Formats: sequence, C-alpha cells, structure tokens
Amino acid sequence: MLTSILKRTALTAVALAALSTAAFAQLNELKIMAPAAPGGGWDGTARSMQQALTAAGIVKSVQVNNVTGAGGTIGLAQLIGAKGAGDQLMVNGFVMVGAILLNKSPVNLTQVTPIARLTAEAEVIVVPTESPLKTAKDLAERLKADPAKVTWAGGSAGGTDHILAALFAKAVGADAKKINYIPFSGGGEALAAMLGGRVTAGVSGYGEFEGQIKAGKLRVLAVSSPKRLENAPDAPTLKEQGIDLELLNWRSVVAPPGLSAEQTKALTDTVEKMAKSKEWQEILKARGWDDSFLAGAAFDTFLKAEIERVSKVMVDVGLVK
Amino acid sequence: MTNDTRSQSANKPALVVGVLLLIFAALVGYDASQQTITSTYGVGPTAMPYVVAAGLAILGLAHFVVAFREGLPQPEDADSNALLWIAGGLVFLIACIGLGGGFIIAITVVFACTARGMGRQALAVDAAIGFVLGLVIYLVFAKVLTLILPSGPLERLFL
Amino acid sequence: MDTLLSLINGFGVAFEPAKLMFCLIGVFLGTAVGVLPGIGPALTVALLLPVTFKLDPAGSLIMFAGIYYGGMYGGSTTAILLNAPGESASLATALEGSKMAKAGRGGPALATSAIGSFVAGLIATIGLAFLAPLLVELAVKFGPWDYFALMIVAFVTVSATFGDSPLRGLTSLFIGIALGLIGIDKLTGQARLTFGVPELLNGVEVTTLAVGLFAVGEAFYVASKRFRDPEEIIPIKGSLWMTKEDWKRSWAPWLRGTAFGFPIGALPAGGAEVPTFLSYSTERKLCKYPDEFGKGAIEGVAGPEAANNASAAGTLVPLLTLGLPTSATAAIMLAGFQQYGLNPGPLLFAEKPDLVWGLIASLFIANVMLVILNLPLIGLWVRLLAIPQPWLYAGILVFATMGTLAVNGSPVELGMLFLFGFMGYLMRRYDYPVAPMVVGLILGPMAEAQLRRALQISLGDPMILLENPISATLLGIAFLALVAPFVMKGLNRFKAAED
Repeated sequence: MLTSILKRTALTAVALAALSTAAFAQLNELKIMAPAAPGGGWDGTARSMQQALTAAGIVKSVQVNNVTGAGGTIGLAQLIGAKGAGDQLMVNGFVMVGAILLNKSPVNLTQVTPIARLTAEAEVIVVPTESPLKTAKDLAERLKADPAKVTWAGGSAGGTDHILAALFAKAVGADAKKINYIPFSGGGEALAAMLGGRVTAGVSGYGEFEGQIKAGKLRVLAVSSPKRLENAPDAPTLKEQGIDLELLNWRSVVAPPGLSAEQTKALTDTVEKMAKSKEWQEILKARGWDDSFLAGAAFDTFLKAEIERVSKVMVDVGLVK
Repeated sequence: MTNDTRSQSANKPALVVGVLLLIFAALVGYDASQQTITSTYGVGPTAMPYVVAAGLAILGLAHFVVAFREGLPQPEDADSNALLWIAGGLVFLIACIGLGGGFIIAITVVFACTARGMGRQALAVDAAIGFVLGLVIYLVFAKVLTLILPSGPLERLFL
Repeated sequence: MDTLLSLINGFGVAFEPAKLMFCLIGVFLGTAVGVLPGIGPALTVALLLPVTFKLDPAGSLIMFAGIYYGGMYGGSTTAILLNAPGESASLATALEGSKMAKAGRGGPALATSAIGSFVAGLIATIGLAFLAPLLVELAVKFGPWDYFALMIVAFVTVSATFGDSPLRGLTSLFIGIALGLIGIDKLTGQARLTFGVPELLNGVEVTTLAVGLFAVGEAFYVASKRFRDPEEIIPIKGSLWMTKEDWKRSWAPWLRGTAFGFPIGALPAGGAEVPTFLSYSTERKLCKYPDEFGKGAIEGVAGPEAANNASAAGTLVPLLTLGLPTSATAAIMLAGFQQYGLNPGPLLFAEKPDLVWGLIASLFIANVMLVILNLPLIGLWVRLLAIPQPWLYAGILVFATMGTLAVNGSPVELGMLFLFGFMGYLMRRYDYPVAPMVVGLILGPMAEAQLRRALQISLGDPMILLENPISATLLGIAFLALVAPFVMKGLNRFKAAED
C-alpha cells in the first residue's frame, strides 16, 4: 500500500514538474464533478468524459464525483472553493445559469475558469398535430392576442424550455411576463399533456419529442438552432420565420478559479484532445448529442453573453426581482 | 402506553407539542409572506403554505385543548445513557463527514457507539467490526458501482 | 391474435442463451441493488449505461428490464426485515411487514411479497402485452385535474394509517405536508422554507425521512427501553413458509393490489406510491381480522407489494408504446433505448418487433427467475434477524447512513436523517404514528403541483375539477370515503336508538 502511495506522489511530482516546463502537458489524474445526482444529464456527461478520457489514453485515472443539490450551485460553490486546483473539472450547462439566479446563489459562473463547451442540443416548439397552428408566426399571433390563453408545457421553471418560451414572447413583441408556462416534472408528463391536447404548445429538447414527431403525433413549429437539424430537415428554424431568436441547450466544463496560465492550458488541451478523439465522437453519436466544441477566449465570450441574456429574461418573466 | 392518566394540571408534553406546532405554523406563514414572485396564473406558490400554516395552527390549538383534558399517552422512562451513545455516534458521523474525515472512520464510530448504546460492552471489538464493514462498503461502492462515498485520508489509501 | 403470434416470436428471441444470460445478470443485479436503501434500479441502470453501449441492444435492454423488476423484488426485503423502506414505494410494505418480521413471521412476509410480486408481475406483463394500446389511450386522457382528484382519494384513505388518535395522525400528516413545501417550488422555481440553506433547495428526500423515522427512530426507541421492556426479535416462529391460512389470506390482496398498481402505474404521473397506499387501506378495510392490522397482518404486505410490482410493469406501457418515460427508471431506460438509436413508440413495434416482443417475453422470464431466486433466499434473509440485537441495530444505522450518503453525500442530509430519527423516537414515545408524515411528504407536493397546473390551464377557475368526468368521479369517491364512516356511525346510532 505504502509503495503505491509513494509511487503516486512521485508521479504527481513529475506531473507537476512537467506542467511547469512542457508546452503540452499531460494530466495523470483528473477529477470530474457532476453537480447533480447520478443518472442525470450532467452525470451522464461526466461519466462519458471519464470513459473517453481513459479509453483514449489521454488521462490515466479519472474520477467522477457527484455533488447534488440546488440546481448544481452547491457543486459550483465547492468548485470555487477549490481555488488553484489544476486537476479538477466540473460539468455544467445552460440550465445552471438560470438556477444560479433563481436560487439566489452566492456564487456564480463568472467566478470559475471556463474551459470548453462540449455539446449542444436544439430546442423545438411543437403543437399537437390536430392544432390549427401551422407556423411559428401563427403561434406568435395567438400569443400577441392573449398570452394567457396560450399554455406552454415544458420542463422545470427557469429551465431552458421556460427561457425559450419567454424569449419567444419577447422576440415576437408579446409580454413575456404574461406567458402561461406550465412546468411539468420530466418529459413524459409534458408529452402526455401535449398528446392529450391540454396545452397549446410544448417546448423541449428535440430528442425528447423525436419519437412523437416522427410518428406524426406532434408538429414542429420551429427549432431554436441557427441551422436546420440534420435529422429533421423539414423543421424550419425560428430565424427563417422572421423571429430573431437562437438558443442552444449547451453543456460545458469549467475549472476552479485561480489557475495559472499553464494549468488552464493543460486542462484545455486535455479536454480538446478528448473532444477530438474517436472515443468521444462515438459516444456523442450513441447518445445523440451534438458536438459543439468551443474553447478558449471564444467560449469565454459566449458564456458571458449567455449569462447576460438569461439574467435579463429571468427578470422579464418575473422569476427574479 | 395508557391513555387514562388524567391529572389536575395541564399535560406538559401536549403543551410543548402545541407550542411547537404554532411556531412551525408561524414559520411557514412568514416564509410564504416573503415570496416575491410577480406573475402566475391560477394559484401561486404561497397558497398551499398558507393552507398548511392554518392547518398546523389549528392542530396546535387542539393540542392545548388535549393538554387540559386527557393529555398525551404517558411514556415509560427512557434510558438516556443508551440514547446519548447512539446520538453521540450520529453526531460524530455528521461532523466526520462534514470535516472531511471520510466514510470509513465515521461508520466505525457509528457502529461501535450504537452497539454500545444497545448494551454491548466491547467497544474495541465493535469498532473493528465497524471498520471492516465501512471498508467493504466503501470499496464495493467505489469499484463496483463507481460511486465515491465521502473520502478522507484513510479512503485515499485504497483508491 | 397478432399479439399472441408476436409474443411467441418474442419468446423465441428471449430464450436464446445469450439473452437468458443477460436476463439472469439483470435480475441478480436488480435484487442486489434493490436491497440497498437509496440505490434503486434507476441509479443502477444509469451507472451501467456507459458500460453497455457497445453491447447488443436487445441483450442490454433485457438486462435493464431485469434490473427494474429485480429492484422491485429487492426493495421489499429491507422494508420487511429492517423496517428501512429503501424507496417510497416500499413504505406501505414496511408498515405490516416489519411487524411480522419481529414476531417471527418474516418468512411468510417475504414469501407473500415475493409470490405476490410474481403474480402481479405476471398479470401486469400480460396486461402490458395485450392491453397496452387501450391503457395508453386512458393514460393520455388523464389531465392535471384528474391526477389531483386521484391524490385526494389517496389522501382520504391515508387515515387508515392514523392509529387510534385522529389528532395525532393528522398532526403527523400535516407536518409531512409542511416538510413537502421545503425547497424549490416546482411551478415557479421559487425557494420555499429554505432559509438560505442551499442544501434545502432540493427539498426533503423521501427516503431520508422514511429511513430516519422508521429505522433510526426505532433504533433509538428500542435502545431507550432496553432495560425496562427489552424488545424481543424472534427470527422464526412457526413455519418459515406460508401456511395454508397465509395463502388463503394473500391471494385476494395480490389480485386487488395488481388491479390498483397496473393501471395507475401506466398513468404518466401515477407512480408507484399512490397504488400502494390505496391497496394498503383497501386491505385494511376488507380484512377479516382488522385487529391484526398494525401488528403484522399478512394482507398489508401482500396487497401493497403486488401493487408496487404491477405499477412497475405499468410504467412500461407508456414507455414502450409512446416513448413516454413516467418514472425515473423508465426515463433512464429510455436513454438506454436511445443510445442504440431506438425510439420507443408505435413505430418501434413495427420496425423492430423482435426487439420489443423479445423484451416483453423476457419480462416473463425475468419474473420466473426472480421468484426462483428469491424464495430460497428467504431462509437466508430471515437469519439476519438472529444477529445479536446490538449488532443488528448498529448494522441498520450503518445501512441507513450508507443509503443517505449514496444519494447525497452532504452533512446536511445526514443531519436531517439524525433529526428525523430523533423525531421518530419522540413520536413513538408519545404514540404519534410516523407513516402519515411520510405519506404527507410524498402526496402533498404531488397534489399541490397537479392542482396548480389544473388551475393554470383553466386560468384560475376551480370548476375545472368538477367539469371533467374522471376528476368529478374520483372526487365523488373521495367524498363518499370521507363521509361514509360518519354516516355509518349515525345509522348505527339511529338503529340503536330504535331498538
């Protein structure tokens, strides 16, 4: 036992030395935190990263740990507490931006070191096939006429679906504060409400509604991505229909604050190598995630813009004062 | 566990429960009054708390009535020593996990203290059993389920 | 007829040696994790997902289904033996089951739950194969108002768990409902009763409250009266197996439990808890030996366990036919389908009949495997109770801690476990029933969310609850259940006065 500890400290020492000198640094150990319970989306991302990183031989030992609670903000606080630790990553995503505001979290995403965006999923706005609404424009007209009568079904309050509904209202010139958004727990319940025709429209990630869309039970009014989706080429984007709105439900990884430039580079290189690996690409395909790799300064700017946009819309819908 | 202990003065436990319920009701009501949400259709997030607060308050008052009538069932004497051992073990557990002492030590203490509280007089043996139990559980979780239980210095040796 | 042919074909697939192997691994894993509190089938399947994505789709889906069914069997074991319900659906089982176990009837309790699970699983799987399209239509028809009405029926029948004092029962229930308010409000995302503690935002975990009140509370209570009134645990008294009498008292509850569990489980927001509560209170009402309830009546184990298992099969109905995941496990299984590029739904039945029917056929096989696996284990499990009491209770606390930490490794969660444990002790001491509190925590938030969704759709008009036939009927049933006892009492008094 003792020898293995000695070996490990020696290895870390070597790794640290390598970090400060080599231009390309190889990490030997990496801890990835999923700030949610095992089994959720963030946990899935973390475990898939673990799998890709070790299978591709990029990092020898990867540990995933789960820190549950408060929309991921408890995990975030823990990450921010681990100042200067260059061997840690945390998975997060679009949803966390809203959760931070809703939960009045004392910590926020400007306090971490952004590493890279990994995946993104387009949202869709759908209606039951029997609905008289045919285009996003039709929905916009209804919404402008009487926002209360347009009921939206989607995921949790302040989540991606809710924010898209609010942004949609804003973009078409309706009062975002008056939208009648009904959060359901889990896609199944929202889907049932749609199929039962009890709500006007539904919002969700494309994947969640895919089966019903293909079976012809739901009609897509619009997808929120900048371009049409590969597996749903018939569904028009919002932009095409003259509504200036784009939204992607992205997932990314961030690192603790207070890292040196070398540490940040080592982490970014590691993640980039993983994102380009055959193993990761296979996982993306299997899980139906879209690659949306973005690192460095570009990701930094993107993150800041998203935080600003979400903060504004949360006030507009009346979720946050 | 008999219900027939009618005494002249008020039944203290019932009074205490009544007061606690009223405090709880006030807390729920106060919290609801502090909500800042500005827009919803139907009923908002405060309706249910007010209903619950009202229910708790009524139940609290009912306990006062009961206190002056039959009171709560008279409990038997409790062995406070036993309670303290078990509670002590659990408090240590919380502290140990909170301060980063790790799962195995925490489990060792909980097992030994509980066994002591239940009447065994062999702390060292029980601690040893607890340690093995903690270690096995930790390893099974880490290796088989890939779930990392709270780790301290001891756990890092085994990973 | 088509269905029958497809099913026979499905058996052809399911009986391939490799598939049988996957099924066996699945039921074994499922039973193992079901026994651990806090670790349910959802978590296990989630953890296995990344490992299995290179395996054969049919094989790993069969394994997942085996885990799902196995978890349902395993969950009752700890509830009965250790009074530690590992998931909310085993709560009702723990009520009578643990009493039976202490009185040396753990064997029959486990047997009736295993065989009941088998019977329920069998009937429900047949229902899944033949009635799925019909049920799905009903499932989609259920609106928030109907769910709310269903919850009200469940609430009204909860009084069956109140014990002898309505005041103490109601107090327990209301504290549970109040605890259910803690955390983020589902409909507006606002924090309620969290007082700035971020760990409280996710609310009170049902398993933490249940394990705290039941298992930890009991450890305190038993320890506190060790000298004065030592508790006696008899591992085995009488037969280890079910007697003729047990069989006679079990078969009807099994069937009734299945009748509650399967359709409610098939509803998108039905869940496994409501049918177990309904089954428990029905058995209590119908039991020929009402005095035994609260002391270990076998009907109180047989019914809820059957309901629990039947609801598990029920959730597969919307999952397979519509791609609607209606429970955590179903959601993860959906992810399992999707990782192979399969989308459950009407198309899947047409495109991959071998896979779907193979899966359904393997559910039958899993069920048989589980009962064969579980019955011999009973003798072994019951021996657990022969462990010296100090070790047994110390082990239970270790177990409770482990379950809590596996779900949420924060000291705040452990603090709650301890607090609830002590509360459970005080409640036992002053004869407050603990079950209503857990029921309040489970049903309160569900009822609130559904009512508010209903009112949001109707823009605040409460008449929506009475305008819809299903909700109006259910509310009528609830009203009858509420007033019937009073009316009966009145009638009896009237009769007595006449005599």
